[in-house]
Amino acid sequence: MKQGKCSDTISGWHVENEKRAMGPFDKGDCDTMMENAWIIPLFPLFSFLILLVAGKSMKERSAYIGIAATLLSFISAAMVLIERFHEPTYQLHREWLAIGKASIAMGFEINALNALMLVVVSLVSFLVHVYSKGYMHGDDRFSVFYAYLGLFTFAMLGLVISDNLLQTYIFWELVGLGSFLLIGFYFYKEEAKAAAKKAFIMTRIGDVGLLIGMILLFWQTGSFQYDDIFAAVQAGNVSATMITLCAILIFIGAIGKSGQFPLHTWLPDAMEGPTPVSALIHAATMVAAGVYLVASLFPLYEASETAMLTVAVVGGFTAIFAASIGLVQTDIKRVLAYSTVSQLGYMMLALGSGGYVAGVFHLTTHAFFKALLFLAAGSVIHAVHTQDIEKMGGLWRKLPLTAPLFLIGTLAISGVPLLSGFFSKDEILAAAWVHGHVVLFWIAVVAAFFTAFYMFRLFFLVFSGDGRSEAGDVHESPATMTWPMIVLGILSIAAGYVNTPWFGPFLGDFLTGESAPSHEEAPLWIMIVATAVSLAGIYLAWLMYGKRSLARDWLSSKNSLTYNVLLNKYYVDEFYRMTVGYMVKVLSLFLQYLDRFIVEGFANVLAAFIRAIGTAGSKWQNGQVQWYGAVTFIGLTVLIVILAFTGGYL
Amino acid sequence: MSWDTLMQYKWGIMTPEWIILGVGIALSLIDLLMPNDKSRRPLGWFAFVGVIVAIVSLVALLPVHTTTILNDSFRLDSFGKAFKLLLLFGAAFVLLLSIDYQPREGMKYYGEFYYLFLTALLGAMVMTSSGDLITLFVGLELLSISSYILAGLRKAHSLSNESALKYVINGGISTAITLFGMSYVFGLTGSTNLKKIGMQLSTLQDSGHQYVLALAFLLLLVGLSFKLSSVPFHMWAPDVYQGAPTPVTAFLSVVSKTAGFVIVLRLFITIFAAAPAQGKDPSSMLLSMQDYIAFLAGATMVIGNVIALKQRNIKRLFAYSSIAHAGYILVGFASMSWVMIDSIWFYLAAYLLMNLGAFAVLQIITDQSGSEDISQFAGLYRRHPLLAVLMGIFILSLAGIPGTAGFIGKVHIFLGAFATDPAHYVLASVMVAATVVSYVYYFGLFTQIFFRPAAVHEPIKLPIGAALVVLICAVGTLVFGVLPGMVYHFLDQFQHFDDFLH
Repeated sequence: MKQGKCSDTISGWHVENEKRAMGPFDKGDCDTMMENAWIIPLFPLFSFLILLVAGKSMKERSAYIGIAATLLSFISAAMVLIERFHEPTYQLHREWLAIGKASIAMGFEINALNALMLVVVSLVSFLVHVYSKGYMHGDDRFSVFYAYLGLFTFAMLGLVISDNLLQTYIFWELVGLGSFLLIGFYFYKEEAKAAAKKAFIMTRIGDVGLLIGMILLFWQTGSFQYDDIFAAVQAGNVSATMITLCAILIFIGAIGKSGQFPLHTWLPDAMEGPTPVSALIHAATMVAAGVYLVASLFPLYEASETAMLTVAVVGGFTAIFAASIGLVQTDIKRVLAYSTVSQLGYMMLALGSGGYVAGVFHLTTHAFFKALLFLAAGSVIHAVHTQDIEKMGGLWRKLPLTAPLFLIGTLAISGVPLLSGFFSKDEILAAAWVHGHVVLFWIAVVAAFFTAFYMFRLFFLVFSGDGRSEAGDVHESPATMTWPMIVLGILSIAAGYVNTPWFGPFLGDFLTGESAPSHEEAPLWIMIVATAVSLAGIYLAWLMYGKRSLARDWLSSKNSLTYNVLLNKYYVDEFYRMTVGYMVKVLSLFLQYLDRFIVEGFANVLAAFIRAIGTAGSKWQNGQVQWYGAVTFIGLTVLIVILAFTGGYL
Repeated sequence: MSWDTLMQYKWGIMTPEWIILGVGIALSLIDLLMPNDKSRRPLGWFAFVGVIVAIVSLVALLPVHTTTILNDSFRLDSFGKAFKLLLLFGAAFVLLLSIDYQPREGMKYYGEFYYLFLTALLGAMVMTSSGDLITLFVGLELLSISSYILAGLRKAHSLSNESALKYVINGGISTAITLFGMSYVFGLTGSTNLKKIGMQLSTLQDSGHQYVLALAFLLLLVGLSFKLSSVPFHMWAPDVYQGAPTPVTAFLSVVSKTAGFVIVLRLFITIFAAAPAQGKDPSSMLLSMQDYIAFLAGATMVIGNVIALKQRNIKRLFAYSSIAHAGYILVGFASMSWVMIDSIWFYLAAYLLMNLGAFAVLQIITDQSGSEDISQFAGLYRRHPLLAVLMGIFILSLAGIPGTAGFIGKVHIFLGAFATDPAHYVLASVMVAATVVSYVYYFGLFTQIFFRPAAVHEPIKLPIGAALVVLICAVGTLVFGVLPGMVYHFLDQFQHFDDFLH
């Protein structure tokens, strides 16, 4: 560890800039935004710290601090993105810790992917901050909510600009902590408490995979830096099996965070958190972190066909699996949650099929339209005070702004032409087809049909027909809630045009560097098929829930078994409870009994009796200690016997 | 040995020990002469100042080269210096805690409290610096016997009496096994001097003798596992921790455990590292017996963490947690990488900060409520946000979450397990699995503090000593977690403790 005085601190910094070959002491050109991008995550951190200390006295004025901080972050992120259009990748890191010969660095990097993610995260976070001012109005812990939002945003932005795996891991965990705090925000609700715990533990299971994968990579390449890892992989310094192993272990981390099968069950439960949180964390940002991780380690995955196939298959399976569950859910937020799981599956499918641009593209458009859908759903819940779609209906006229915005989001996610979701989904289907994953391609097509169906089922049940709700006084949400939705509505329509077959793949060129061909040349019929299935899904939903010329139970009445399986989410939660849950309980109970009954057994069972008869108790106390000593002797004897048989001395 | 030879020795290198001894004797005399109705609290501050002066004198000794006196039975080497720092800092924090300790039923023996702490500390320090089996053993016993009395100082409290009794009996068994092992070593070499023993044993060729030495290895390992509270000598810990006065529990779980690791490292490396063996590495008994340590480390981590899941009493919970942490540190020892001692030192330092911090909070809460049930922590965030956040830091660190000292410590031990050839995959996996299990109870506590409504709304009074400990430990936990490079820079001066055998 170099301990630098003020003057030579700069020499400790390794500045890598391909174009300008900046010397370590040359501070001349340091005022561009990209070089100061490290400041972007700090704004929300300051917001968090200020609110932590002064939140109580500021009450609802806390919102302004949070909003101002994220606005600053967004503006800086936008400047960084614009700069990144004509500047090369910028990286800055400094040795943080040296263990023996290995050195661990901390720093940040602005490449195309990071710059894009910075803008997406800070923008959605900013809009959610604004929206929450209306949504959380009147909550006792208003300032705490904004403090947590600040902490989460800080962690997420930090995650996005990390240039090495260790730092990514640190922020990855911090993001998890933020999510834990926010899901459990209504801690007086048992469900919220349970959901927070479940989310934390389920994602931690994935994180163990990530940690092991990361450490194996470090062991193999001697570095946590992404660049060094890619260089070592490309130079063939790491064996093929090791690459596959590491890639899959890291993917397990992504499975946990991005709610992929089989670690998806926490995400629907996480809907117990306040709705703006669902929009920010469980739709647009944190759950996308898994996809982002795979995308940023893409060269590693590309080096292993097995790993790529695993990603694609898990993604494809999750896409259809979650979509089928979404068909029958009746809680507005749970439908959206399963839809999120399914869409994240799409992104994984894209990445696993080699469609890097397609995956990142869908990540971006999904962030906008899913955040829009959640905010609009929040606005609906705000108006009718229920989450059960069976109790809603006829809200089209009563919510004149929310309803059309929700429709925009629904159209976008369903893949209706000319909206953002259409272009990104088409890109994914093309990627799957071009890379020869025929089965996965058709699975994705069916999932697209499901998506269109359940989203419009949701839409018609909530907005069309007669009001089924008894809540009389339904009114539109305040402006602080509608404005963020309008912005997201515009983005849900427009964001697709950054990468289209008609106007040119700007995003693809930006992400991959202009030299590489980025757009998948796919047959035109894919686009037609995609459009057709999405319209078919919408039409079916309209027949059943809009026009109602088709009985709602025409299919489910004949297939009640399938219906129940779907309604119960394939019984995955039950399966976990019956297997893993019980195993852990049994093991701990067993050891507990070993400790309680064998060790302290007689003394404890007879404790009351002993007290009653007074002095006789001491004998039992003695019994206990004998047992302690006996355990030691047994342990010693076992060791000596093992030594006698395996030591090789006799 | 004539007077002249005695005066030639550089007694200066024992300055910290002299100071502790002097303060201890002075305290016992003052306590004797003081009227019974006078408060003994100033004596605690006196002891605290004594420890601080000892720390200062030790820091002044840091640049001194490796020196030995008294026929090589007392050594001031970098190992001794580094670990003595831990012991002294730990003792200083514990003293601060004990000044404010106020059990519900009241306690009369504060004077004994302070000077027995100092004699226990003195024993630990002598162990750290000893180069001879005799001094090592005397130090060990001084520490143990003082601790037995300390555990029983709440005389009116039946659990405390039970705790002391159990501690004495188990300690006796431990001593017997340890001595038995030492007697084999002495029998094989005819010497009690560690360096001579090491040299003698490096030429041990007879297979029968090697077998006896391997037996001695196991006897010492099991006997000393008492001090580490590791398997198979862990069962006393929950009972003793629960009954002992809280500062004593803190002392046992941190200072006494550190001393345990000191004696284990000192003994095993000097005696067994160079002795030939029949096992997997013929050149070193220590390396061929590695798997036994690894096995015990694994068992310790699993048992400690899994049983902790079910505890409702906070002190028992921390007892099992401290068993688990001993397991993690044993992983560092079992992997025997070349950064072993550095990583163990770091972990012990991190553990000292986070565990003593947690114990300080624990003492504040349990003293006030008179109950040791976990539910006393419910709604702490509502009652005292700052204290809750600081306790949150300690819990996160104990769980090994990034940004805290506990994380860095675990990472180093973990990397150490991979840095050897062949790497210890199984052991590392067990460590990860055990760590995951530990999240359940650490975050259970975390949930209590932050998400449960408070049962009582009585405001929390912060006694000055405990508050100081909480604050310093929290800052230390974060600094060690964020800037570990600083700590390793400090450790650089010891050059991986390579003067161990010189």
